[in-house]
Amino acid sequence: MSHPVDRRGFLRAAGAGAAGLGLGSALAGCGSDKQSGTVTLTWWDYFTLDNFQAAFTRLIKDIEAQVPGVRIERRTFPFADLERQITLGAVSGDLPDIAIVDNVSMNTLAGSGLLADLTERVEDWGQADQYYKGPWDGCQVDGKSLGIPNNSNCLALYYNTRMLDSAGVKPPTTWDQLADAAQRLTSGERFGLAMSAIRTEEGVFQFLPFLWQAGGDLDTFATDGATALAFLDDLVAKGSLSEQCVGWTQQDVNTRFVNGRAAMQINGPWQLPTIKKTDVEFGVVALPRDKEAATCLGGENWVVMASSDHQDKAWQVLEYTQRPSVLVPFLVGLGNLPARKDLADTGTWASDPALRLFLSQLPVARPRQYGPGYADAAQAVAEAEQSVLTGTSSPSAVARSAAPKIDRALEER
Amino acid sequence: MKGDRPGLFGETARRSRRGSSGSAGRRARPGSSGWAGGRGGGRGRGRPGPRRTASPSARRRRAGYLFSLPGLVFLALVLAYPLLYNVWTSVHDVRLTELLGGSSPFVGLDNYRTTLDDPDFWHAVRLSLVFTAGSLLFQFTIGFALALLFARPFPFNGLLRSLLLVAWLLPPVVSGTLFRWMLDQDAGAYNALLRAVGPDSLAHDWLIDPGTALAGVIFANVWVGVPFNMLLLLVGLHTIDPELHEAAALDGANAWQRFRWITVPLMRPVSVTVLLLGLVYTFKVFDLVFVMTGGGPVDATSVLSLYVYEIFFKFFRFGEGAAAGLLLLLVPLLAGAWYVRRLRGEGEAA
Repeated sequence: MSHPVDRRGFLRAAGAGAAGLGLGSALAGCGSDKQSGTVTLTWWDYFTLDNFQAAFTRLIKDIEAQVPGVRIERRTFPFADLERQITLGAVSGDLPDIAIVDNVSMNTLAGSGLLADLTERVEDWGQADQYYKGPWDGCQVDGKSLGIPNNSNCLALYYNTRMLDSAGVKPPTTWDQLADAAQRLTSGERFGLAMSAIRTEEGVFQFLPFLWQAGGDLDTFATDGATALAFLDDLVAKGSLSEQCVGWTQQDVNTRFVNGRAAMQINGPWQLPTIKKTDVEFGVVALPRDKEAATCLGGENWVVMASSDHQDKAWQVLEYTQRPSVLVPFLVGLGNLPARKDLADTGTWASDPALRLFLSQLPVARPRQYGPGYADAAQAVAEAEQSVLTGTSSPSAVARSAAPKIDRALEER
Repeated sequence: MKGDRPGLFGETARRSRRGSSGSAGRRARPGSSGWAGGRGGGRGRGRPGPRRTASPSARRRRAGYLFSLPGLVFLALVLAYPLLYNVWTSVHDVRLTELLGGSSPFVGLDNYRTTLDDPDFWHAVRLSLVFTAGSLLFQFTIGFALALLFARPFPFNGLLRSLLLVAWLLPPVVSGTLFRWMLDQDAGAYNALLRAVGPDSLAHDWLIDPGTALAGVIFANVWVGVPFNMLLLLVGLHTIDPELHEAAALDGANAWQRFRWITVPLMRPVSVTVLLLGLVYTFKVFDLVFVMTGGGPVDATSVLSLYVYEIFFKFFRFGEGAAAGLLLLLVPLLAGAWYVRRLRGEGEAA
């Protein structure tokens, strides 16, 4: 199937949707015997960086060629703006047909009625068991499928091979080893460990693994939260972790690691392209465990908006993107990991040891799936962590005072 | 007249400005608004012609309404409608879950009560007041000092003045990022400077310590605000007739006395305007703080505008956010109302 329109439509900016619609339907009318005309689906995401564009361009081109009667009008927003745009769109009635959202956004969006219920379509499709549990569960809310995971990521521990070798330190696998290694790797301007403890979701994303590794969860914050906070507090007290991490984004953390100001860092696979451009020799291991092995699940989900008039077509697009032959090149192009188990042995992640390590962590990666009150709970967690790391209050005291706030937020339904 | 004085608007503009502070100029202002239905002391007096039925003044007034209509419509659309919508939102329980269904129940003053009961709100109010007071104090005094400096001729005066203005022209996001970087303990320029002139202990992670983060943000905001203050105050200084100073000097007044008894009183109207503009701007500053600290560490810089932002776009409690937003509007609004009253009083007194 080759439409001459495809390339032209694609070359034009996505903004010319209306013209594309007219032209497309005219051609579909004479060129095919399908009774339906071409529909233009609007699509929002937050993949604004240049190095993502080639993969998206190709995917959209493929969709327009392979899914009958579909034209895509894509709009990108900065990461922090997408969720806000969707809520503003809900007020003004300007919403896309499909979107790729952060998996943590499901907490907010799930109860909003903004997302189309895909349950029946997903059942007919029958591929649910091909996905890792964490990413898949993140799309299931109150027994309904509200999305399809597109890609996954999680946190692991990067280390500077040369620094560890010269200090005679092995990559840590437990909390005690981590504390020990971090201390021995700290010298002068260099910190043993760098992580993000910023007051936003990024900081919470990096803190939650410690809470889970301590054997707890948000509902046991008073005790296990105190354990996790005390561990980090100790790292700061010994100088192994910079107090400045309360102001660092994950990007800042990676900059420290790449500049040799940190011997180890907690970060995600999306930093790999940046690190590989430098001459830093590095390795990646699973996050050190305490009582349990755990890491935090990141990634993006596909969703269809309930307000869309073209939910069937939108679903066809989603289904198309999940075909291994389409998904693998797309994810490789993005530098992301699949959320599908059946793709584990294909793509770059099968051969690249760092990506392979991240992929191997997906089974213990937990989604932040706590319901609509999660934002309040996360804020309480972030502030608790910050007040401990800045020396404002003690771990046990702050855990005790944050716990009721978190409980109240999570009860919200 | 000293022609070498660096005049901001040139000699003619200066003279006409000075003229406008005279009584004729004063009266001209209310008169010019007469056609728009101002309480015109000057209107009748200006046109002593015979009064016929549909007097020209009535026709003029009608034309005036007509001419102001586009402006009014514009204001209604961009100002009144959002404001009223905000008021509506503030008395309804609007959450993300109710956005689509449209079933946001009327809750009266509940949102205001929730906001006023929230200790975080009062924390934000306190921070905003400290932030505003601190910013204004330093912006104004430094701005005044610089204005006095630049009011006298010296080499490169104009160049230096334009360079200072760059600070004000930068978007807050840029200056915020700049200061975030400069105040950084490891790589920051300020700490390098402090280490260079004193012991290492002088260097401090300004934005990381909850005790100093607000000071760091105020520091940046002062830097942003000083050029604006300086510029307006400099204009004010140029409106003071140099002959007053010359006469006072002849009478034996020293520099301090001339400053205290001539410059300060004559600068009062400009100062009030500058401070008020500063108050309105500073009280609602968002971008600078958001970029520099995001409200942290902990909640040390979570000023009112950030509080409102978080209620809206982090917690999606739109009703409460609208209520808090209106409360945030209260301070600039009261200050503005006071200023307008004061201006009007001045106009009538002249």
